[in-house]
Amino acid sequence: MNTGPVLCYSEEPELAEELLRWTHHQKLSEGAPVAAAVLGALPADLPQRYAAAGAQEVYRLAAEAPAFPEAGVLAEALAIVVREAKPRLVLLASTKRGKQVVGRLAGLLDWPVATGVNELRRDGEAWVLEREALSGNAVSVEQFPGGAAIFALTTGQGPPAAASYPLQIREVTGAFPPSRVERREQRPKGGGGVHLETAERIVTVGRGLKKREDIPMVEALARALNASVGCTRPLAAEAGWFSDDHWIGLTGHRVKPKLYVALGVSGAVQHLVGMRGSRIVVAVNQDPNAPILGQADYRITADLYSLVPALLRALGVPG
Amino acid sequence: MSPNLRIWVAVKHGVDVGLTRADPATGVVALEGAPRKTSDFDRNAVEEAVRVRERSGGTVTAVSVGPPSAREALREALALGADEAVLFTDPAVPRFDTRAVARALAATCRTLGGFDLLLLGEGSTDHFGGVVGARVASELGVADLAYVRKLTVEPEGVVAERDLEREVEVLSARFPVVVTVGQEINTPRVPTFMSNLKASKKTIRQVGPAEVNLPASSLAPVQTTLRVAVPQVARKQVPLTGNSPDELARELLSRLRDEGVWP
Repeated sequence: MNTGPVLCYSEEPELAEELLRWTHHQKLSEGAPVAAAVLGALPADLPQRYAAAGAQEVYRLAAEAPAFPEAGVLAEALAIVVREAKPRLVLLASTKRGKQVVGRLAGLLDWPVATGVNELRRDGEAWVLEREALSGNAVSVEQFPGGAAIFALTTGQGPPAAASYPLQIREVTGAFPPSRVERREQRPKGGGGVHLETAERIVTVGRGLKKREDIPMVEALARALNASVGCTRPLAAEAGWFSDDHWIGLTGHRVKPKLYVALGVSGAVQHLVGMRGSRIVVAVNQDPNAPILGQADYRITADLYSLVPALLRALGVPG
Repeated sequence: MSPNLRIWVAVKHGVDVGLTRADPATGVVALEGAPRKTSDFDRNAVEEAVRVRERSGGTVTAVSVGPPSAREALREALALGADEAVLFTDPAVPRFDTRAVARALAATCRTLGGFDLLLLGEGSTDHFGGVVGARVASELGVADLAYVRKLTVEPEGVVAERDLEREVEVLSARFPVVVTVGQEINTPRVPTFMSNLKASKKTIRQVGPAEVNLPASSLAPVQTTLRVAVPQVARKQVPLTGNSPDELARELLSRLRDEGVWP
C-alpha cells in the first residue's frame, strides 16, 4: 500500500486542526506522516497551530491565490499538492464548501469519494466507513478499496488533543488556475441572535399553527420555558413566517437541546433529522398518526390551541 | 438574452425515504425494492429550470442516470414542464454510484447538443452525498455554483445567491455553468391532469455509453454498501392524557421537572 501521508485540508484552520487531531485519534496514518495542505499564503501562526494538532508536515502551494478562490480553484490547487505529496488519503471537512471541493477534486483525480463520514477505519486491505444517508436519518456502512481516497468528515465532534510533533514545511511549486466564478457580494447570515444549535430548550411549531397572528402565543410559551423558538420548513420556506435561522431540519439547523417541544409538527423525515439529538422530546399533535409522536418521550394527542393556553396558565403567564 | 438557452436538469429516481421502514430490532433499512420517487431537491431543480425557460426562453431537457425505472422521474419532470427527456442506462452497470452518475451526466450533456445551464439538486434524498453537481462540473471543466437559493439569468451567464452555513454569497459565472439548488429556491408546481396527459405522450430518449462516447468500463461501481441502518434512539413513548387541557398541562410540567429539563 501507499506509504504517503494522510493529507488534511480545510480553508478554515479550525476545521483543518480537527481533521489532524481526528487522524491521530483514529490512527489513520499507520506510521506514515500526518500532513496538512495550505493553499497560498501561510499565516505566521499556522505552522504552530497545525503542529499542536498533530501535523508532521505542511505541504504548501507557494503561489498567490486569486481574490476569490472558488471551489473549482481550490480543488485544482489542492490537486497540484496531492500530485506532489502522493497521500494515501485526503481528508476534508464535510461542510458545504468542503463537499463542493471534494466533488471537484474527485473529478480531477478520479479517486473514490465519500462525504458526511462519521467513522473511518481500515479493515484488512479496505477502508470501511460510516456516513450519513437517507437524508441524515440513517447510517450507511460502506466499504472502499484500500487505495487512495477522498473522504469528507463530519466536523464538530471535537476529538481529543493530539501530541505535538516537529513540523516540516514542504513548498510545492505551481499556480492557481484562473477563477471561473466572480463573487459580487458576501454577507454574514442575518440571524436576530438566534443560535438554535446551542439552545438548551426549544419550542418548535409546525403546520398545526393556523395563522401568523398566533406566533405570539408560541413565543409566550417559549419565554415562559426559557426556550428558543424553532419552526419547520413550511413555516420558514413557504409561509415566510419565520426567518431561516429558526428552521430546524435537513437544510435548516440541527439541534440538540435537553428539551424539545414540538407543537403541531407532523414529523417529516427532513425535520426529524434536525431534532434527533434532543434529550427529551415532547410532541403535541392532534393527529394520532403523526410520525413525530413515534419519536417522542412524551406524546400528547391534543390540539395545540387548547394545550398551549393551558400551559401558559399553568406557568402563570397572564392571558 | 439567448432565445435558445440550452437548459438541462438532472433528476434521480431515488428511494422514497419517507416510506422506508427500519427493522425494529436492528434498525436495518431494506432498500432493495423500496418505493422510489423523484429525489426532493431535484423537483426544485426542475421547477427552476422551467422558470428560467419561462423568463428567458430556451428548452429544458431532463436527464436521469439509472435503471429503466428512472423513466418515472423523467415522466414527472416532463409533467412539471420539461420539453424533452433523456434516460442514460446501461444493463452492464449493476448500480450507478456518484462517479458513474457524474460521468454519465457529463457525457450525455456534452454529446447530445451541449448545454448552457445544468441544474441539479444539491444532494439526493437517499444517498445524500452532495457531490454529483461539483463532480459533473469538474468532468465538464466548467464552473459550479452550489447551494443556490436565488438564480438570475443574464445575457452571458447567471447570478446566484447561495446559502452557506454562516454566510450568504452572491456569485456570478458565465455559461456554460452547473448550478445546484435546495428546497429554499422555490416551491415546485404540482402536475395537473392535463400536464400528466401531455407528458405521457412524449418520448423519452434512451442512451447508453456508446451513444455518448463513454467507455463502458468507466462506470463500474467503486464502493460497496454493507448496511444501512437507522440509529436507534430510545424514546420513552409515554402517552400523556388528562381530563382537561389544564390538567394535561400540569402533568406535562411535572414530568419535565422530574426529567430535570425544566425549570
